[in-house]
Parts: sequence; C-alpha cells; structure tokens
Amino acid sequence: MVVGDIATGTDVLIIGAGPGGYVAAIRAGQLDLDVTLVEKDAYGGTCLNHGCIPSKALITATGVAHEAGNAEEMGIHADPAIDMGGMMEWKEGVVDQLTGGVEKLCKANGVNLVEGTAEFDGENRVRVAHGGEGQGSESIEFEHAIVATGSRPIEIPGFEFDGERILSSRDALALKSVPDSLVIVGAGYIGMELAGVFAKLGTDVTVVEMLEEALTGFADDLAKPVVDTMEDLGVEIRLGEAASGWEETGEGIAVTTETDGGEETSYDCEKALVAVGRAPVTDTLDLEAIGLEPDGDGFLATDDRARTKLEHVFAVGDVAGEPMLAHKGMKEGQVAAEVIAGEPSALDYQAVPAAVFTEPEIGTVGLSPEEAEDDGFSPVVGQMPFRASGRALTTGHTEGFVRIVADEESGFVLGGQIVGPEASELIAEIGLAVELGATLEDVAATIHTHPTLSEAVHEAAENALGHAIHTLNR
Amino acid sequence: MVREFKLPDVGEGVAEGEIVQWLVEPGDEVSEDQPVAEVETDKAVVEVPSPVNGSVKEIRAEEGEVVPVGEVIITFAVEGEDEDEEQETAESEEPTESQEQVSEEPADIGDGSEPIETSAGRVFAPPNVRRLARELGVDISSVSGSGPSGRVTEGDVRAADEGSGERSKGPKQFDAGLQSATRKAGESGEGDGSTDDTGAVESADRDRTLAAPATRTLAEEEGLDLNRVPATEERDGEAFVTPEAVKEYAQAQREAKAADAQAVSEAGTGADGEPAEREERVPYRGIRRTIGTQMATSKFTAPHVSHHDTAEVEGLVEARAELKARAEERGVRLTYMPFIMKAIVAVLKEFPEMNASLDEESEEIVVKNYYNVGIAVATDAGLMVPVVKKVDEKGLLQLASEVNDLAKKARERSITREEMQGGTFTITNFGAIGGEYATPIINHPEVAILGLGELAERPIAEDGEVKAAHTLPLSLSIDHRVVDGADAAAFANRVMEYLENPTLLLLE
Repeated sequence: MVVGDIATGTDVLIIGAGPGGYVAAIRAGQLDLDVTLVEKDAYGGTCLNHGCIPSKALITATGVAHEAGNAEEMGIHADPAIDMGGMMEWKEGVVDQLTGGVEKLCKANGVNLVEGTAEFDGENRVRVAHGGEGQGSESIEFEHAIVATGSRPIEIPGFEFDGERILSSRDALALKSVPDSLVIVGAGYIGMELAGVFAKLGTDVTVVEMLEEALTGFADDLAKPVVDTMEDLGVEIRLGEAASGWEETGEGIAVTTETDGGEETSYDCEKALVAVGRAPVTDTLDLEAIGLEPDGDGFLATDDRARTKLEHVFAVGDVAGEPMLAHKGMKEGQVAAEVIAGEPSALDYQAVPAAVFTEPEIGTVGLSPEEAEDDGFSPVVGQMPFRASGRALTTGHTEGFVRIVADEESGFVLGGQIVGPEASELIAEIGLAVELGATLEDVAATIHTHPTLSEAVHEAAENALGHAIHTLNR
Repeated sequence: MVREFKLPDVGEGVAEGEIVQWLVEPGDEVSEDQPVAEVETDKAVVEVPSPVNGSVKEIRAEEGEVVPVGEVIITFAVEGEDEDEEQETAESEEPTESQEQVSEEPADIGDGSEPIETSAGRVFAPPNVRRLARELGVDISSVSGSGPSGRVTEGDVRAADEGSGERSKGPKQFDAGLQSATRKAGESGEGDGSTDDTGAVESADRDRTLAAPATRTLAEEEGLDLNRVPATEERDGEAFVTPEAVKEYAQAQREAKAADAQAVSEAGTGADGEPAEREERVPYRGIRRTIGTQMATSKFTAPHVSHHDTAEVEGLVEARAELKARAEERGVRLTYMPFIMKAIVAVLKEFPEMNASLDEESEEIVVKNYYNVGIAVATDAGLMVPVVKKVDEKGLLQLASEVNDLAKKARERSITREEMQGGTFTITNFGAIGGEYATPIINHPEVAILGLGELAERPIAEDGEVKAAHTLPLSLSIDHRVVDGADAAAFANRVMEYLENPTLLLLE
C-alpha cells in the first residue's frame, strides 16, 4: 500500500467490463448498490471488441458477398467487389455503437467507471494502475468483489503472436487487407468460423488440426455439413497434424506441421492464425493477496451463486470456467449482483445453449441423445432435415437438420441439436422448451409460422411423437 | 387442481398428531380458514383450518389415527384453478391399461404424483417457479408436481410452502388453529375408538383402511373403528373394507358382548348389579402419551437427584393473609404461588445454573437470563405446564392473576402452545391435592424443578418444645449433569429463607 494513499470505498467492485462484468455492474446498480467497474481496455470486453461481435459482423458481410456472387441458380449474376477498408469500418461502427451503449447504460445505472488494471491488495482492497507509466494509481476498498477478467487466446510454443505473421483471432478480426493465403492452426469453432470468413474473402485457407476431427465437442453429424461446406469453399482441412514451427520465406512464411508418426509437411502462406483455444485471465490479479488460488487451468471455482470460496468474492464469465460463452457470463454476472443484493438468485439453468457461426451454423442446447441416456432418461429423438423445409429451399440453404431430444416416458424436452441455416436463432426455441419443462406435445401443439425455418423444430417434435406430416416418421 | 394439505408442525418437537374428528366430508364445500378437522397434539386440541376455498376431495386419515407431521391428511379440489390440470391429475389417479404397464417398471415417471427426478436429479419446472421456490425456501426437488407429466407448478410450490411453512415460520402460521382450540377431547364424541374394544371376535387393527364414504358412515353409526374391521378385499395393496364386512363385524361384536355379559352375570354381578368388566383397554394416545414420552425422555436423559426439605412459613402465611383481602378488592385471588415464584426467581438469579438447559448437541449449558416459570397443572386430561413469562418483571397481583388465568385455560384445554413454551424453571404443586414429598421429574430440557407439598400446620420442635406451625415441604429435583447436590441444597436453603421471611422479597 502506498503511504498516504486514501482508498475510496464501494459496495461492489467489478474487475472487467465484458459481458459478465458489465451485466453484473448494471444489475447491481439497478439494485441500489454502489458499484465500481474497473476496465483496463474497452467496455464490452472480448465479446464486443475482439470476439463475438466483430467476427459475426465479418461473417455476415462476407456471407452477403459470397451469396451474391453465387446466386446464379436464383438468376442473379453478380461479381461483388469487396472493399476491405469499408467492411472493417462498418464492423468498427457496429462495435463502437455497442461499446458506447454499454458505457451509457453503466453510467445511467449509477456505475462508477474506472480505467486501469486492478490487482488485489488485501481482503477488501484493490489497487488500480491507470494506463501506462506515470498515469498513477488508486486504491479502492470494497465490500464485495466480482472477478470478470475474461480470457485471452492461448499461444502455442514457437507461435507467439506478433500481429504481423502470427495472428491471434483478435488480430485476424482487425486486418486491414485480405491476405492471399492463411494457415489456421486449430479446427475448433473459432478457427472454422474464421476459415469461412477468409475463404469467402478469397483467401487461400488451410486449416491444420492436431486432433483427428474438426469441431471437437460437436457430434460428427453436426460437424460434417460444416466440414463439407468448408471444403466446397476451397478450404483445405488437414487433420492429425500439429503445427510445429514456422519460418520466413521472403514472400511470406512456411508453417510446418508434424503428424504423430513424425511426418512433416510445410505450408506456404502469407500469415498464420493460431486459434487453439482461450485461457482465463487470472494471473494479473495477485489472487494470492486474498488467498484465492485458481485451478490448474487457471479458472476460479465458484458455487451456484457464482461465489468463490471467499464469501465476499465472486467470479463470473470465462474466469469461472467452461463453457466460455458470453451468455453464460451474462447470467453469472446477473446472479452475482443479485446475490450480493440479498436476492434469492442462483445459477439453476437447465441448459446453456451454444452456437457456432460457421456455414452452415450449429446450435446446440441441453442433452444429446447419448447424454440423455447417461443421465438416466429413455431418450426419444425427432429429426427434420432442412431439405424438407419449404423455407429452407427458398433460401437456397438446405443442408443440415433439426434434432429434438426428449424423454420418452414423460415427453419432456431435454435438448436439441441443429445444423443448418439460422441454427443459432432456431436453437432458442428448444432452449426455452428445456427451461420451461415443456413436452414434445407442447412444442408440437404450438402453431409455427409458415413458411419459416422454425417449422423444422415443430416438425422434429411431431416426428418424435410419431405423427410428422412432412417427413417419414421414425 | 388438487391441493394437498399436510398435517402441519404445531411447534417445537411435535412429530405427530391424532385426528380427533373430521368436521367435513368428501364433497363438502369449504372456505379458507374454515376448520376441517380437530387434531389433538402435544397438550392441545387444535382445529385445523382449510388453506383454500374449494371442496373436499379426499380424506386420507381416519379419526383416531395418529398422523406424522408432514403427511397429507386431506386433499381439496380448488375452484377457479386450471381445470385441465385437475383433469390431468384425476386421470392419472386412475391409470389406464397402458399406464399400468408403465407403472410396473421401476423408472415410473410422469404419473403426475411425484416430482420427475432422474439419476441426474433434474426437476422439471419453469424458471419462475424455480425462483419462487428459492424465495420461499422450498426445496423444489421435494415438491410433487401436478403439471403435465408431473411438472412442478407455481401452485405446487406454494402448496408445499404452506404445508411445510409452519415448520419454519412456526407459531405465526399456526396461530389461527391454536386460537380456535377450545374444545375438550372428551366432547368430540365419536371417533375415540373405545367402544369396540371388548370384542371377542378377532379384530384387524390396521394403521390404514380404505373404504367408501358410505362405509365409513356405516361404521360410525355402528360405533366401529374401521381399522379393526377385517377386510376381505385389497385396493392398491391396502386393505379395503366393504359395507358387508362392517355389518358382519358389528353383528359379531354385538354377539360377543352379549356372550360376555352373560358370562359375567353367571359369574356374579358387581355391587350395583351391573356386570363389571375385569379390565378395560384405553388407548394410550394424545396428551397421555405425550406426557409419558416427555417424562420418559426426561427421566432417562437427565440423571435426577432429589433434595427434600421443609420450610417453616408462618411469615408467608401472615403476609398472604394480610394481602389476600387487598387483592380481592382488586378482583384477584391471591394464592401462595406468586410468593413462591418471586422467591424462586430471586434465588435463581443467585444460582444461574439452575435457570438453564443443556444443549446436548452442541455440548453447551444454556444459561438463561430471563425468568419464565412453568406451573404444572393437573387437568382432567393430564398434566399441563403453562408458563408465566418474565416473572422477574411482574408484581404479585399480576402473577396471581396470570397463574389463575393460565391454570383455568389449561383445565378448559383452551391453552395455546405458546402459553406452554419457553419455560426456564418449573414448579409442580402436588401439595394442592395433598401429600408432603415426591420426586418431581424435570421438565426436560430444563435442569431443575421444585415440587411443593401441602402447606399445612405440622408439629415442629423449637427450643426443646414441640409446637404447631405452618410448614411447606419442598422437593427439588435437579439434572445432576449440570447441577450438583450441594448447589441444590444451597438453592433450597435460599428459597426457604425467602419463604420464611417474605419481606426479603421487598428487596427484589
């Protein structure tokens, strides 16, 4: 502690203004708590600034270009020209609008905003270093703290991010020009989403993946349409190859991969993007000062009130563990704020939905048939292929399907998996059904608008019940 | 929809109650707070009020049956609530063939009666219902769902809260029931199950018997306890009694009684010419059993030591005689009890370990800095212990009037549980009936009890002379785990000092 330093006090100190942190701050402000939100970079965190929002902006923009250029079947002949600068400007406009909105909402809810990097300095105290050298620092004493410091991309040995040749996902989303060729290390959802973006921009994309499958964590039948579409877009997917090193080649770089068997391959490219996952940011906080220790992966363990082992310290969002999803962090932030305010809040959701914005999209929520069986249910499955959907045909995207999983005896909807057009949106209906404890009958008895893609959810429920009209029943 | 009503917890330590009498029948319309049953619990007969407006759907406990707290005793069909849900429940109660097949399997879920729970422990309920459960402190995994396929609804959570709420909220929830407790158990007439105990025909004596309402009425008319009627059928694995079985059993009972009477008259008659029964069996129930349980707990938990002594109380007799007339002018009957209470409280302040209890679980002696004195009162139904609160803050007249008032309520059985709780020390006045010494059993978990013998003139020796003087025999029992014999003797000596010189009380 600095001699003569006078600390300001606050009810709730929140470290990090990402989706977990800003939601916690706004909710705590609504609940009449005195809230201080510390952010070192930009309001909105990774999601708004370097993740979900910019990537989805670019996915949409490149999608428009790609669609327009590939619509001969619909009688459209176009050759879209992409102005990368314009596209980035539009993307940044979207981001600015959202981050500005977060800042305004925080202020409107009485949240004190402090810029800087927070470090614990005792059980009820943090030290916030403002900006760079000479910018000074301040101490803040708190009753409760919420750690919402998020995550950062994982680097792999030999592939340190430099923003020039070796890019993180954040760098890739800020590129000013379209690279001619790109090696993407990692075929997870970030790698596959960005593979789609750059392929549609005309980049020659190669994806190398150490594991034997792309999109691990998703069932094969969900991953396959994505892999097929990527290949149709010209993306080369190399499985079972681990990136082992790279070197300058004059014109660009050569990325070397190695198989388990020791076989080496070299890929020439302009840049390499490393997207092998994200690690929680807990190393900047001096957690030792309050006696908290992250687990081996860097996460802070929390209970169903988002509380760490310390009664007055909470952790939300990516630092609180998998899945690292903004909407999970938002819920945790809300619950943490409500618990601090003495409300009977808890993390008792039945399912966390997830979406991958590849082409086609993947959306999942709740239990897969296998998981349902493991949990002691007798699962029944209903499925509807998009090729049987009138609306899907009219969009030109008929790949994929909707699957709904329910308990055969009670009919309760337990989960769903969708791959196909607008899967990220459509999954919400199944999520709602899971949360409400709705049955297949409930979904089937709900009239869905025709002609829409959501009819596929309805039809899947009918299919599970054995009276689907537009498909053959199971 | 159907609302279940569970026997509420009526206070500390009460685990069960006896259904004395049902005041309603299936099909009856009831309004909220209307008494539906009389339940005899620990030392009080309470009227249980309906929690809802609606009609009685099913009565699940027999009169005379002892029901554990938390068991559903009656169900109501609630008007104005979702009719579809009612249909759902009704249907699920009468399983179709296919449902029956399903229900044979162990993983029988979705029958509408139990919460849907899997090995993963999932309960199906919408988020707003989950939140409500958290707000009310209801464990949603223990709530029976009445929604489709057993989904837990808002109503289910509220019903669970009402059913168990009394446990956590205690007196507040049950006040209405207690305040209406004005009836003596003996006045309830039928349902005490004592009329058919002489039967020579073997009785069944089950805990639970299924029967149609008309059969129940028939059994009532015959004065029979359905649980004793031999059953010829089973429904859902439980004994089911038909009207024919009731008639047959009633006839057999009458014949047996007639045979007994004849046998007795042949063997000789009683002094009044009436046949005298050799023995009679009276159910060990209600208050009698509660007293028994309490006494046994105390006797076998706390090692009792009794200390006896006699106070010479001429001073007390004079003081009371002097004040009695003044008290009567103010409409108060002044007994010796308030003096004794004041004396005891004065001494308890000197011996705090006597005004204590032992918390066995946490291994702590809980010394009370408040003085609530229980006064054991003999009533027709048995011993009751009303508690006079804050004795140290009250004057003689106020104590006299409170003691009189509480004793009257106890005898009339209109006393509430609250008026019998919270004691820190107990006095038992067996001397009011006569006698000198006894071994009082401590009112567990208190650690001491003072028994009073009869205040009477007795011979005492003074300066080598025997003379008559008013004396009061004292019997003090202590829990030897907490209090030692020497302390008991010192305590008794100080009490005697106050009783022999009541003017000392003026210093208090």
